[in-house]
Amino acid sequence: MSRTTIEGATELVSPKDGDVGVYMPEKTTKAASNQPEVEQEQKGRSNHWEVRTQEQAYAYLPEPDPGNKSEIENRYGKRIDLVELTDNPAGRSLFINGNPEVGTNRDRNKQHGFFFTADNCIGCHACESACSEKNDNPAHLAFRSVGYVEGGSYPDYKRMNISMACNHCDDPVCLKGCPTRAYTKHAEYGAVLQDPETCFGCGYCTWVCPYNAPQLDPVQGRVSKCNMCVDRLEVGLKPACVSACVGNALDFGVIENTPENREQCKTSIPGFPSPEITQPNIRFQQTKSLPEEMSRTDDMPVKYRKGSDGQYKPVVDQKNGKKMHWNLPKLNSRENPLVLFTLLVQAALGTFIIPFSGALLGVESFKQFMASNLFLPLVLLSLGMTSMGLFMSVTHLGRPFRFYRGFNNLRYSPMSREGLGLALFSAFLGLTALLLAPSNIGVNTMLASLGLGLESELSSLVATLPLESVVVITGLLASASGLAGLYYMNQCYQIKARPFWNHWQTATSFVGNSLSLGAMVSGVVMLISLGVESLPLQGAMESYGAVFLVGLVIEAVGLWGHNRTLNRSEDEGGAAHYIQCTTFGKTYQLRNALLAVNILAASGLLIFGGFFEVSESLANQSIVDESVYLIVWASLSLINLVTVVIGRALFYNLVIPTTMPGAFFWKNKGFEQHARDIGLADNPATGVAPLAH
Amino acid sequence: MLFGRKNRKPIAIPAKKVKEWKYTTCNYCSTGCSIEIGLDEQQKIVTTRGHAGADVNRGKLCIKGILEHELFDSPGRGTEPLIRDKHFNPFEPTSWDHALDTTAEQIKHIQQKYGRDAFAIVSSGQLLTEEFYTLGKLARGVIGTNNYDGNTTLCMASAVSGYKRSFGADGPPGCYDDFEHTHCLIAFGSNLPEQHPIIYWRLKEALEKRHFPLIVVDPRVTMLAQFADIHLPITPGTDCVLINAMMHVIINEGLQDQSYIDAHTQGFDEVKALVQDYNPKQAQHVCGIDEDTIRNVARIYAKAPAAMSIWTMGINQSTHGSDGVVNINNLNMVTGNIGKPGGTSLSITGQCNAMGTREWSSCSGLPGYRYLENEADRNEIAEFWGIDPEFFPKQRGLSQTDIFAAIETGEIKGLWIVATNPMTSMPNTARIRKALEKLDFLVIQDVYQDVETNQYSHVYLPASVWAEKEGVHTNTERRVNLINNVMPPYKNAKPDFWIFNQMAKRFDNGQMVHFPETPEGAFEEMKYLSKGRLGNGQPRLLDISGMSYAKLEAAKGIQWPYREYEVGLKGSARLYSDGIFPTPSGKANLLPIAFYNNNEQPCQAYPFWLNSGRVVEHFHTRTRTGKIGNCNKFSPTAYMEMNPDAAQALGIEHQTYVRLTSRRGDAVVLVQLTQRVPRNMVFIPFHFHDCVNRLTLGLLDPHSRQPAFKQCTTRIEPICQAEAARINAERRTF
Repeated sequence: MSRTTIEGATELVSPKDGDVGVYMPEKTTKAASNQPEVEQEQKGRSNHWEVRTQEQAYAYLPEPDPGNKSEIENRYGKRIDLVELTDNPAGRSLFINGNPEVGTNRDRNKQHGFFFTADNCIGCHACESACSEKNDNPAHLAFRSVGYVEGGSYPDYKRMNISMACNHCDDPVCLKGCPTRAYTKHAEYGAVLQDPETCFGCGYCTWVCPYNAPQLDPVQGRVSKCNMCVDRLEVGLKPACVSACVGNALDFGVIENTPENREQCKTSIPGFPSPEITQPNIRFQQTKSLPEEMSRTDDMPVKYRKGSDGQYKPVVDQKNGKKMHWNLPKLNSRENPLVLFTLLVQAALGTFIIPFSGALLGVESFKQFMASNLFLPLVLLSLGMTSMGLFMSVTHLGRPFRFYRGFNNLRYSPMSREGLGLALFSAFLGLTALLLAPSNIGVNTMLASLGLGLESELSSLVATLPLESVVVITGLLASASGLAGLYYMNQCYQIKARPFWNHWQTATSFVGNSLSLGAMVSGVVMLISLGVESLPLQGAMESYGAVFLVGLVIEAVGLWGHNRTLNRSEDEGGAAHYIQCTTFGKTYQLRNALLAVNILAASGLLIFGGFFEVSESLANQSIVDESVYLIVWASLSLINLVTVVIGRALFYNLVIPTTMPGAFFWKNKGFEQHARDIGLADNPATGVAPLAH
Repeated sequence: MLFGRKNRKPIAIPAKKVKEWKYTTCNYCSTGCSIEIGLDEQQKIVTTRGHAGADVNRGKLCIKGILEHELFDSPGRGTEPLIRDKHFNPFEPTSWDHALDTTAEQIKHIQQKYGRDAFAIVSSGQLLTEEFYTLGKLARGVIGTNNYDGNTTLCMASAVSGYKRSFGADGPPGCYDDFEHTHCLIAFGSNLPEQHPIIYWRLKEALEKRHFPLIVVDPRVTMLAQFADIHLPITPGTDCVLINAMMHVIINEGLQDQSYIDAHTQGFDEVKALVQDYNPKQAQHVCGIDEDTIRNVARIYAKAPAAMSIWTMGINQSTHGSDGVVNINNLNMVTGNIGKPGGTSLSITGQCNAMGTREWSSCSGLPGYRYLENEADRNEIAEFWGIDPEFFPKQRGLSQTDIFAAIETGEIKGLWIVATNPMTSMPNTARIRKALEKLDFLVIQDVYQDVETNQYSHVYLPASVWAEKEGVHTNTERRVNLINNVMPPYKNAKPDFWIFNQMAKRFDNGQMVHFPETPEGAFEEMKYLSKGRLGNGQPRLLDISGMSYAKLEAAKGIQWPYREYEVGLKGSARLYSDGIFPTPSGKANLLPIAFYNNNEQPCQAYPFWLNSGRVVEHFHTRTRTGKIGNCNKFSPTAYMEMNPDAAQALGIEHQTYVRLTSRRGDAVVLVQLTQRVPRNMVFIPFHFHDCVNRLTLGLLDPHSRQPAFKQCTTRIEPICQAEAARINAERRTF
């Protein structure tokens, strides 16, 4: 067969061989083979991205307009020109994939952001798939996601789709929180970019981001996120998602600019978290009236109600009714390592600091204990618990072998500081143990059993050095760094995007648990010590009992305050509390009851113990009474152990972040869990990642 | 200061390293988007992009197109021909020769024993046009069965039938460019944002430039309904009543375009007489749209300088599908809105090449919109193919939907299914299952060997897909566009074109009839057959004789008619602009459409309307999109939209399972509560196997034989959640 050729077509199309077999692929049909020759669309543009043949206007960023007043400062008073804000020279290369060429975009040093016309989004997933296609993301991961809120009543029904990726915030809490410094906010486009090769997969950025922008991949064990398509921006093209938008909803440009054909430029729409948290670089148009109340189809018990100011505020949506359940198995979650980490470390802190400070304060029994041979095992026990705790926290990382990167962001990240505090605590405990060793009978006996005469050298060493006072110094240093660690541990959870944690109750829980658990562990060691030396236990027991009780009361006061706040709260904190009172209602009540019983019993025991001491001090102390007393304290401690484990598991499992609304399947935690439960998730095309990594 | 870190972290962004872009057209829906496939140095497909210079999509693609290149090596693809003697035995791999020989022998055996028509062929709207033409030649001219049809009966048959009845021939008269010129648009049962996102974008672009009234007729509050200026939440199946009532208003208020009616149509008086029975006062009680709204919409439409109607399955998949199309055509003729910019009656087609099969597959007759009933057509084709005209039947045989009924009655003993999946797509799955089980011989030719229908086959032929082949598509606006062969077929799969050619060689007539070696050779035959004049002396409209593969690629698609002598690369944007129609008289037919209600209606036993439809991330029976994670994840399993008020009355909760029953069977689905649907209706996407079509009735339209998927009833029953979850997981193997 001969082929008709026409003018104009012959240059574009290489001649075809008419009778070639049907499935021979070597036919070249597009003149991409002459690549060295720069296509017309690429002229005057850098080489970061190949501009499509006959590219359309919608894909290009607008040309810079020097007279544009709106491009000086953003609404939060921040300069939009980022070169003016930094000492960096303009015209630096971004070295995308190592490419040294500088982008040809003349606006490249201005803060850019997305513009979302919520009126127009049809929820067609084109933006999401364009993003995933460009970034080679597997099904379970997405830098951009579309969810929706809906309201009204048939046929007066309104659904508003929301397409959301990273907002490249003025105040990037992800960057500040990241302990490894994987994030950079660039003076080019104001892009907040993250380097997955630096990340060790702690997921802390995913906690602090209010928009669920950073994506923790449980398969790869690391976070990745929207890169603003800076490669496309460098040649003057809008990001892939924007260029793909089929509803004319998504746009992009220098921040605070209202795109052509748009008449609004606001910072919130229903379902979008408060822009106050991070000052996100996204602007909205949403002019169509929506129903008073917009609900979410995913399993988050949050909906949005219009306030008198016309703004939509989150309110609790009682999706699961009011029935209370146990759901104890659900407390066993992937956050287990963090439950163990925090509890072990807090117990370790209390274990060391309670007797150590007691001795420093001059309490006789503590002084005796500190001088005893069992003080060294207590220090070692505390060290062991801390190490175990830190080990648990490392197992929680996606890339545990990169744990040492955890200290890289001391400047901003409470997590780095927490890590450093706890590392120093361990170090000083180790030093303390080392200094305690020479005078310890156990150590000496062990050395003697070796028969090398080391024990006599050791005792002469002890005689010459002021070890006791040095132990006090290292002990003080350990206490100080441990308390700093505890402080920053609390700071880690004071996250605006997680209102359930962002409360002083987190601090009271951490301190209270340190006291009650610490009293339990060190109490056991000290009582053994006093028992071995046949000293009276009563005083020590009462002191520990008092500390224990104080710990419980602190925790209880915090919980009371938390409950009070959350009951009045309509945001995600209130929603988490609603889950606490329903899905885990019985478990929550059990924990509270146990705590109350414990407080009553401990107070009773202290009062009764005092009475016991006064009334029977003249009589011979009965060994039987003392052991009953011990057993009761031991039981209370064990009950407390159960209480704090439940409490901490609730703490991690209940938190509801201020994320974007999901869809019925995608970004719906309830469906993800269901898909895992019934085996749908075994098919990778379901897009639900396995939880374990 | 958050900037100014001395050490910026490196920026790594996946680079596709495209060496070469190859031009194709999308293989999913009928929008006809141009796609470039990017190949790297090793000739491996690494990415796709929309062609920014193509008039249809102007660089845009929907989710399916963006991810389409991932389908080539997706799970479940056929690698080898398979064979077995009984459907309950395991398959064994075999050679192409053995598979084809066995198939040919079985066809001959069945035809000898039970007659030529006892072997049926059901094809698709998914193949390339050259393949349709070749299959048509094979079916009509070589194998010689009159029971040969396409699955287009499930989607476009009513549009075809309606166009033929109104205008004398098939072929949508309008184009996407009409959005730019119209002053009012009514969408009947068409949800562009979900079904045809790129066509929606073309509409949105037009609306952003110049707003015009958008009226949407749909019982569901789809995104398009929500964005409409006026939404008419109609009672299912009553579109004819609404349109008759609108025409009542238009004609009785004298708003019709009388000069157009007089010059270019016939039958106005009958229509005028009929619509007197459809006073909006009475009609409102049938169609559920109040009188004022009917009057308002009718006036807006009639007074617009140019107004257009689009429709999809909401009209076609109905017992009144063909009537609905005719009535939409009536509305547009009465208002003078045919063949003018912005004034048209445009069916939005379903499958990528539904048009190609309508034009060239010979399913409903002979190639190039020719009819078996027309002696001249029979002689012309017989002569061109080199066979005896008497070999052709003188009347069209069974339609696709009737073929399954004929298997039931034993008239048909053998079946060849090409690129369609009736086990999922046909209404009343139980009935289809029973029919397929009865067959003496079933051959399945498909891209995927896990296609559900394959469980009843005796021979499976693995076919190549999309750019593993070469050929053309025709889209909704009659635009013929090119698919280049980009890569070799997967493993031992073969292009359908090759399979048909090889099959032909195994029949006596196949020795006589010429089967070109290449698709381009077949395209040349089609070009030749597209020339000439119709019976009424008018030139053929389906004229592609000016086209060539080179021109198609250069133009990024050309709309027919595009005749031999045509200069430039622009085809014809519209049909019937001259007011001359391919009827014997040259005038279009205004046909009175009386409404009768034969739908299954909600009742005490089955109180809910059951509606089905598409979601944007899936295509048809999910054989392709179900394997592509970034599509499938947005609806990885079946679900049902249900009104929360109705659910509350039944004690049904969001995101729990229910069991649905109908007079045909049952299904298990996950409930999504939403006010998008009315209290007495549920909606279930049709993509999922063993789901909504276990329930559907699918009464057939008398003209088009298209099933009424969208009008039947169901009851909702509780089910043990654990048991339901198990069933759901089992039914979603992909």
